[in-house]
Amino acid sequence: MEREKKEPGKPDGGTTLTRREFLRDMGVAGGAVVLAGHFGVHGLAWAISGEPELKMVLVDYGKCTGCRTCEAACSSRNRPASVNGRELPGLGNPRFANIRVHRFNPDVDVPSVCAMCADTPCVKACPVKPDKKSGRRALYRDQATHTIHNDPARCLGCRSCAKACATQRTGVITPDSATGKPERMCTLCGGDPQCVRRCPFGALSYVEVRRDRKFYGQRAEKIAAELAKTWYGTVDLGGVK
Amino acid sequence: MSGTPGYYGQILDINLSTGKITKMAVPAEDLEKFVGGQGLGMKILWDRLKKPGVDALSPENPLIFMPGPFSGLPVPSSSRTCVVTKSSITSPIESDYHHASTVSYSNMGGFFGPEIRFAGYDGIVITGKAKELSYVVIDDAKVEIRDGKKFKGMRTDAFDKAILAELGDRRFKTVYIGPAAENLVPYASILHTAGRAAGRGGTGCVMGSKNLKAIAVKGSGQPGVADHQGFLAALEKARGALYKSAFAKSWAEQGTARAIVGNSNAGTETVRNYREGTFAEADKIGGDAARRDVWVKDIACYCCPLGCKKSGLTKGKYGGIVHDGPEYETGVMLGSNLLISDMPGLLKAITTIDDLGLDQISTGNVIGFLMEAYDRGLINRGFLDGIDLTWGNVDATLAMIEKIAAKEGVGALAAEGVRALSWHIGKGSEKFAIQVKGLELAAHNIQANQPRGLSYVTASRGACHMSGDNIAMQNRRAMMDSTGMCFFPTFEPALEEPMLALLSAITGRKYDKAEFEKTGERIFNLEKLFNYREGFRRADDQLPDRFFEDAFSIGPKKGAVLDRNKFDSMLTQYYTDRGWDPETTQPGSAKLKELGLEAISRAI
Repeated sequence: MEREKKEPGKPDGGTTLTRREFLRDMGVAGGAVVLAGHFGVHGLAWAISGEPELKMVLVDYGKCTGCRTCEAACSSRNRPASVNGRELPGLGNPRFANIRVHRFNPDVDVPSVCAMCADTPCVKACPVKPDKKSGRRALYRDQATHTIHNDPARCLGCRSCAKACATQRTGVITPDSATGKPERMCTLCGGDPQCVRRCPFGALSYVEVRRDRKFYGQRAEKIAAELAKTWYGTVDLGGVK
Repeated sequence: MSGTPGYYGQILDINLSTGKITKMAVPAEDLEKFVGGQGLGMKILWDRLKKPGVDALSPENPLIFMPGPFSGLPVPSSSRTCVVTKSSITSPIESDYHHASTVSYSNMGGFFGPEIRFAGYDGIVITGKAKELSYVVIDDAKVEIRDGKKFKGMRTDAFDKAILAELGDRRFKTVYIGPAAENLVPYASILHTAGRAAGRGGTGCVMGSKNLKAIAVKGSGQPGVADHQGFLAALEKARGALYKSAFAKSWAEQGTARAIVGNSNAGTETVRNYREGTFAEADKIGGDAARRDVWVKDIACYCCPLGCKKSGLTKGKYGGIVHDGPEYETGVMLGSNLLISDMPGLLKAITTIDDLGLDQISTGNVIGFLMEAYDRGLINRGFLDGIDLTWGNVDATLAMIEKIAAKEGVGALAAEGVRALSWHIGKGSEKFAIQVKGLELAAHNIQANQPRGLSYVTASRGACHMSGDNIAMQNRRAMMDSTGMCFFPTFEPALEEPMLALLSAITGRKYDKAEFEKTGERIFNLEKLFNYREGFRRADDQLPDRFFEDAFSIGPKKGAVLDRNKFDSMLTQYYTDRGWDPETTQPGSAKLKELGLEAISRAI
């Protein structure tokens, strides 16, 4: 958690350690080797790239069969049920899953899940004034889990975050149809994503966010079009949104 | 929510003649006795058709889409939808009723059944007939019948995309018919995801007769369960049983296509219109060849860890996108059965059949029969509208498929099925018209597999390869197809216990192996009562002469042929063990009482 230093003037609580700070710390620590030993190789790569170390659920589209077990597993964990006063995992209604498998014709299945963007376009789009004490807008990146949260008490339901996500990234943020408040931000299940654990085909993994990965942060439709072209030699997916 | 755990206790009831849409309560006793899927569908069919001889293509005949108690919950492989109706293709040898036919049920995977339950229903019943081609849209409680004229004649692959573009939301799950069903081909199918089908027994034809092009459904709810914690614990065990299973892994590799080579080697494959059990070129159309040359992606149904559906791409003259296949049934019926060993040609035939909305099995069977009749000189090229329908001829096969779907020229006759064709042609061709009760046999050949012959003759929908080779199997399968779970994962023995525990936790009724089979037996007997009332008797449980006369001339089972006496005594034993009269096949009153069907049986 040493890398979680709050960067002043960044109310979104996102990027915490800049390249400048890294170089400063490197001087204090006595070189890159020591720093690498301390933070790990990935940490060093992150530091050099200037991005915070974030983790996400990554999809291997070649292995995904479109079975939607991930949706059920996600919903079960993140939408618990109250049974006789006890909180238990839910029955896995896929409507409440934060991961959604998009199915296309020809057969291409694209699970879409929060890309854990380092630059948080969703948070930046939130028009709610940052809280003086916490620096948070209604939508914010949680310091401990690094996941995106919404404070429903302060949220205006303006859908700006969903629009930003849809136009700039995956489009997973979905406003509640009644309140307009954002849903579907991945919780990473406290560091043990259930979608990854339950996928029967090993198509999901829990990895460090890397913006240079193919398909990173893209919309399901765009990914599907490229996969359909590669696999079936077609770009005709029926024009469905 | 109903008082019965695991269910909503309501069926969506849509009358296309009047436009009336109602939410019909299901009696708790029916849920308990008939469960869901095939069983509850049969009970609804029985209740709706109070007399025998109703024309399957009349507005009265209900078309019933049934998920089961597993559907909508993340139980492994609980993806199935059972379509139940009165058959448009079967008929008894003799009956007092002009339109007598058997029950029909056809079971498909995918995502439709679970979505019906997400929308808040235990099933959908369609009756009546729309004035013009229509489609139904179900969005939770909101249900609409819409004009579908612009989709008339549209093939299924194009329609699969067009309907979602029309609805503007890819989350809708859809089932639909192609041109063959619109043209009322008696063995037309219902498609889902452009590559999954409720293919057998004319469910598509019944849908076509109602002027119903499609049903789209989307839902946001979920049924509850009786024992939440018990459900979660059993779910964990069920997943454990399948995720670690070597069997499941093997299905992920090749699906049913593995059997194309396997059954050929065992001498149980359908080859050359059931003349042989082994195909020398099976490896050219088998799973290894498909994995190497065709498949690009493994596809699974809802929450299924098997993933037996394969899609791919072929190149060359017959090249194109393949939504599914070859599977065992499609690969054999259009491949070895027609002596077609050209993989792209085979897949072009399979894809075209799905695109037109025909049953793969009946279509392959009919074309195999015509090839043999042509080869033997019983029909000439003129009869075939100039099509040179020789063994292994891909172009001729494709031309015949189009003719059948359009009911054009010889296609109009071929569309009536292999039995009607043989009656028309005569000259002894009935001997190699491979059907039971008017429904064509599937890709499992039986000269060297007598138990499968029992499945074909005693199955409730006519020649069905899935019914079961003995009484216990038949009862288990009838029950399995009533739960919403697929039959394939149950090949893994470790699944049985958690599967029973899941069913118990969901419904709050204690299911052990015996209760599971007993419920299946009740369902199977209800089907039998329906068929008996229509006039089906022992003489209808008959195999074509080929199986008793034409011994295999090649392969490891060379010389194999069924013995008529042995087969007959096996049947007599079967009826006796079932508690049915061996002469008439009428279910006995003791058995009906044991199964709690005495009130129903009084109707006949």
